Amino acid sequence: MQRKLPLMIVLVIGIAMLIQFFIPHKFSKDLYMNFLDWLGIIAAFALVLGLGSLINHHLDKIQRKRENWQYSWVTLIAIVITAIIGLFGGMEGKGPLPVQPQFILGNKLIVIKYSIQTIYDNVMTPLGGTMFALLAFFMASAAYRAFRARTFEATLLLVAAFIVMIGVVPIGYYISPKLPHLAQWIMDVPNTASKRGILFGVGLGIAATSLKIILGIERNWLGGK
Amino acid sequence: MKFWEYLLKIDRRVVFLVVGLSVLIPLIFPFYIKTNVMPTTQKLFDTIEEIDPGAQGILIAADYDPQTMPELQPMFIVLLRHSFARRIPVLVMSSYMQGIGLAKQGLDQVAEEFNSRAKTNADSIIYGRDYVFLGFPPLWLAAVLRMGSDISQAFPADYYKNRTASLEMMKRIKNYNDIGIVVSIAGSGIPQSWVTYANTRFGVKVGSGATAVMAPDFYPFLQTGQMSGMIAGLKGASEYEYLVNTKYNLPGPTPATKGMGSQSIAHLTILLLVVIGNIGYFASRRRR
Repeated sequence: MQRKLPLMIVLVIGIAMLIQFFIPHKFSKDLYMNFLDWLGIIAAFALVLGLGSLINHHLDKIQRKRENWQYSWVTLIAIVITAIIGLFGGMEGKGPLPVQPQFILGNKLIVIKYSIQTIYDNVMTPLGGTMFALLAFFMASAAYRAFRARTFEATLLLVAAFIVMIGVVPIGYYISPKLPHLAQWIMDVPNTASKRGILFGVGLGIAATSLKIILGIERNWLGGK
Repeated sequence: MKFWEYLLKIDRRVVFLVVGLSVLIPLIFPFYIKTNVMPTTQKLFDTIEEIDPGAQGILIAADYDPQTMPELQPMFIVLLRHSFARRIPVLVMSSYMQGIGLAKQGLDQVAEEFNSRAKTNADSIIYGRDYVFLGFPPLWLAAVLRMGSDISQAFPADYYKNRTASLEMMKRIKNYNDIGIVVSIAGSGIPQSWVTYANTRFGVKVGSGATAVMAPDFYPFLQTGQMSGMIAGLKGASEYEYLVNTKYNLPGPTPATKGMGSQSIAHLTILLLVVIGNIGYFASRRRR
């Protein structure tokens, strides 16, 4: 029953939603809206489950002193601090949290608000930007080491990459006014053709997998063995 | 070590240093390079130009996070500037929890820029009348589908906890029929999902602002007309800044255009490194 009930729900609702799409009746539309409401409620529960799972995972890691367990403290402390500031300071720092530290820098008064926006501006943004910026260095190093014209295919890739990389920056136009157009042609024709092929494959794969889930052939989502 | 072998084994730290300098020096000593506008950027600009501000609005989805901010935030800013310059009602949302902070920064910055030049109330950009910040929907797909029938139901409250339906602008913008175009700015495949769920199902036009890495994924949709234009990478943002500033004679920030010198030199440096690696490879192979 534990496995059959979810499978039955998926089968009935999956088929109902398939049919609903083609019936432009009020009942059908209301049903669809109700399901959208349910989706929101389920997502809220998933958020709670996710948070619980994250905390459990890191507590377990600390208890068993697994590799890099010290960093789990960073995660847990960050969760607690963010939650306190979020719950009592809010997005804008207008909550009941007490004194907001302030100091003068030059001739400007700096007020540190206990708000999610403060954490976001001063922690999330610089950390995220730094992580992505590192990519430029690794990409340059990898391109230098791996991008070799060893075979015909590799040479083709190399030439296309050259044209696109120069063609998509303004300086390419000054090297040759034809370069941006050539780069655009590569994007419009060979790139689009290959992307479309991939999209067809992905689309068919999604349809097949969805059908397998609805019909109960694919059961990995149930978890367990 | 022979010269050819050295070309093959340049220390990683030297590569990092050269790339770092090629990015940094043009930022410290900026130089202006005029951009040539690509068709995809022009198409998005033209589509937004065709919107009747009295009848329809624009929905800008800040579907990105701080990681892709340097490339995508200039797109968000320039799209806001274009919309405000044309007085198109603007709706802003984000499918990423991390995106709402950036969207708020951008909205505050552009609204302040326009309000500092405004002489009358009519010239000003006022929250609720000229733009609404919807924030982040906990379940993106449900919100996107629900907006097809009623935006206020998908977002009962806006980012500032106002009742969405009570805002002046929302009295005339009910659903996708009142939206001229949805522009999804993302470093992921989300614009494709906007095409699937908003364009295919409800017929609303969809445009995108994509990182240069993601842009190739959207060309099939541009070719079929399912996407009405795209800003591709920082260069695309620079092209859009050029179009907006030229047409509306707007003073103000052009962060993407400022970054073009740095990006051009960085691309040339990487290509030079690839050439050096290949010269070393062929020379050492011939010697063997």
